Amino acid sequence: MTTTETPAPARTAQATPEQRPKRQREGAAWVFLSPWVLGACVLTLLPMAVSLYLSFTDYDMFNSPNWVGLRNYTQMFTEDPRYWRSVVATLTYVVIAVPLQLGLALVVALALKNMKRGRAFYRSAFYAPSLLGASMSVALVWRALFNDGGTVDNLFGTGGWIFRPGWALVTVALLTVWQFGAPMVIFLAGLQQIPGELYEAAEVDSASRWRQFRSITVPMLSPVIFFNLVLQTIQAFQVFTPAFAVSGGKGGPADSTLFYTLYLYDRGFVASHMGYASAMAWVLLLVIGAVTAILFRTSRSWVFYASDTEGGVR
Amino acid sequence: MPGNRTRTRTGKKSRTGKKPRRSRKAAAAVATGLAVALCAALTACLGPDGSTSAGGKVVLRYTWWGNPDRAARTQAAVDLFEKKHPDVDVQTSFAGYDAYKQKLATQAAGGDAPDVMQLDYRMIDQYASGGVLLDLGTQRTTLRTGEFEPGLLATGKLNGKQYAVPQGRGTEAVVHDPTQWKEAGLEPPADASAGGWTWDQWADAMRVLKKKTGKPGGTDPGQSEDAFEVWLRGQGRSLYTEGHELGFTVDDLTRWWTFTDGLRREGVVSPAEQTTQLDGSVENTPLGRGKALSDMNWDAPASGYLALIPDGIALAPMPSGPDGTPGQYFKPSMFMGVAADTGSPEQAALLVDFMLNDREAAAILGATRGIPVNESIREELAPKLKDFDKTIYAYQATLEGKLATPPQAPPSGDSALQTTFQRDYDQVSYERMSPREAAQDYVTEAKAELRS
Repeated sequence: MTTTETPAPARTAQATPEQRPKRQREGAAWVFLSPWVLGACVLTLLPMAVSLYLSFTDYDMFNSPNWVGLRNYTQMFTEDPRYWRSVVATLTYVVIAVPLQLGLALVVALALKNMKRGRAFYRSAFYAPSLLGASMSVALVWRALFNDGGTVDNLFGTGGWIFRPGWALVTVALLTVWQFGAPMVIFLAGLQQIPGELYEAAEVDSASRWRQFRSITVPMLSPVIFFNLVLQTIQAFQVFTPAFAVSGGKGGPADSTLFYTLYLYDRGFVASHMGYASAMAWVLLLVIGAVTAILFRTSRSWVFYASDTEGGVR
Repeated sequence: MPGNRTRTRTGKKSRTGKKPRRSRKAAAAVATGLAVALCAALTACLGPDGSTSAGGKVVLRYTWWGNPDRAARTQAAVDLFEKKHPDVDVQTSFAGYDAYKQKLATQAAGGDAPDVMQLDYRMIDQYASGGVLLDLGTQRTTLRTGEFEPGLLATGKLNGKQYAVPQGRGTEAVVHDPTQWKEAGLEPPADASAGGWTWDQWADAMRVLKKKTGKPGGTDPGQSEDAFEVWLRGQGRSLYTEGHELGFTVDDLTRWWTFTDGLRREGVVSPAEQTTQLDGSVENTPLGRGKALSDMNWDAPASGYLALIPDGIALAPMPSGPDGTPGQYFKPSMFMGVAADTGSPEQAALLVDFMLNDREAAAILGATRGIPVNESIREELAPKLKDFDKTIYAYQATLEGKLATPPQAPPSGDSALQTTFQRDYDQVSYERMSPREAAQDYVTEAKAELRS
């Protein structure tokens, strides 16, 4: 029903003659926009509205939903020990994977920036894992590598990492960190925007490499770092495929890789508590929103926009 | 739906009748665009549900869980069915139990359940009350159930309607490698009539095996809701009450997990890293992987071990309560059901009938899904059984008349709780929680699950 609420025509009712041409153009614009509007409404807004409704019901996918008020939410916070384990696992993962991934991306970008030859090749090579990123097959290869009796076990005698609670999470985090290509390319672009004369000036003042990095690169790159941080944090909260494949869909061992989305999937599609899963999804949305807001708030104190300062670069 | 949308559109247009002509045209174009796109999308969604006819043939999807041995035999039986009914094309697929359970739940919820599906005792309540299963009473002329023991047949009923038909009868067993046990100087009770063994005697056997062979004696049974049920029943209790509430307390579960966790700490049953790999397939059990010398499993799927253990395997009864009360029971195993929204209910019923009642099919299938429920087939088949099927038959014969009646079908939340049970025990075996803490978690979750 939302689909048909294309607002423009409805409001044209009392249009004055002078405004008509613009309105007509708008009409045409809506025609061209319709595939997108349709997609956004039918595939995003409508399901979201339905899931919000379902989060207040006991919908089990087979029987029609009954209104249960806030019960799903209260059960989540007070009666579901596994829910809290999934929250802890997810937060641990975010805190491990995001800084590692960004750090590695930055280091590689710095190395590539100063590279004279073969940069295009290495850039592609480092980016390749990101292209495979979401694929199930890579995650399965990962599982095979770190399995009990897998390659890593045979080479280093580590035992099956994926069956040791502390290491299983690290294994999944490693898989994510390995896919640092997207933030790396963005870092590289950001690095190339930093005017060379800043470094030249620093050289003249005989500033060390480390000093240059701290006082020029980091501040000048901070908007890009911030952008990557927000993006990767949001993605990390929603991690699903690697954990699903590596833990064989269970989030084990001992719930150590039972990430929020994995538990959400488990509640919805395995235990068929769709109402509960919907409630979980909405809490996740709110939490990601809050975390992003906090990041934006703190960004004021550490992100440096050159254009904000007097006579900024360019 | 598309019709509705267009109508809403028209209604709105007539209200804003003063609109400029071209704008109205544009709006109409938008509406048409939307309607066309929606029609396309909806037809795609509401397409045929699997029972399409390809080249004039009726196509049936038939899915089950099991091991490769069962797959080979099932495929052979299905091939025979196709030969006898050339107008029907049966597309089969199978998976391990855990994967099958997940996939079927998703398919059923999406209105895309396979035409013919294998079901567990735990699934019937959920799917029948959810409207996924066809009332097989409507196909009585095609699907004959006259030769079934009424008590067993009734296990597939809900509210008086026959939603599923049991295919076989199974019971649990301590599956073991007799050669290695003999080398360790152990003789497990081959016969329940000799009094079987208690849980303590079983634990002692695990200790001896560990001492003599260096390998854990068996899979840690703490993760298994099935084993817990046997233990509970041996003490005269049950998993669920008649009213679909929990039949045990935190204390009971704490005692069970303290017992199994103690054995794990002694190293006489499988360590946490092994136990957590269990996923319902024999290949991933410690016994199947050569890391332990026994496993508690159902008798029929135990045939899968033969491919993994060259020396062969034997079946011993499950341990009993301290006073010798057996906890195991004959469970109607592996029901067959038909999807309520199948396009060809008659052909689907025909396939079910063939798998259950056809003599030639029975000869091919043997005891791969347990001893057949059709009584005349059972009698006819018994002397002809070969290899491991014979072992299963003999094993069940030793228990005949000694086991208490099976519990009523578990409530619909049980399927999810079975997984919860395994996961909560992970917390114990990885020493992240004490048995009591984990038991409390389980009972909390189970109560919430059974309430909903």
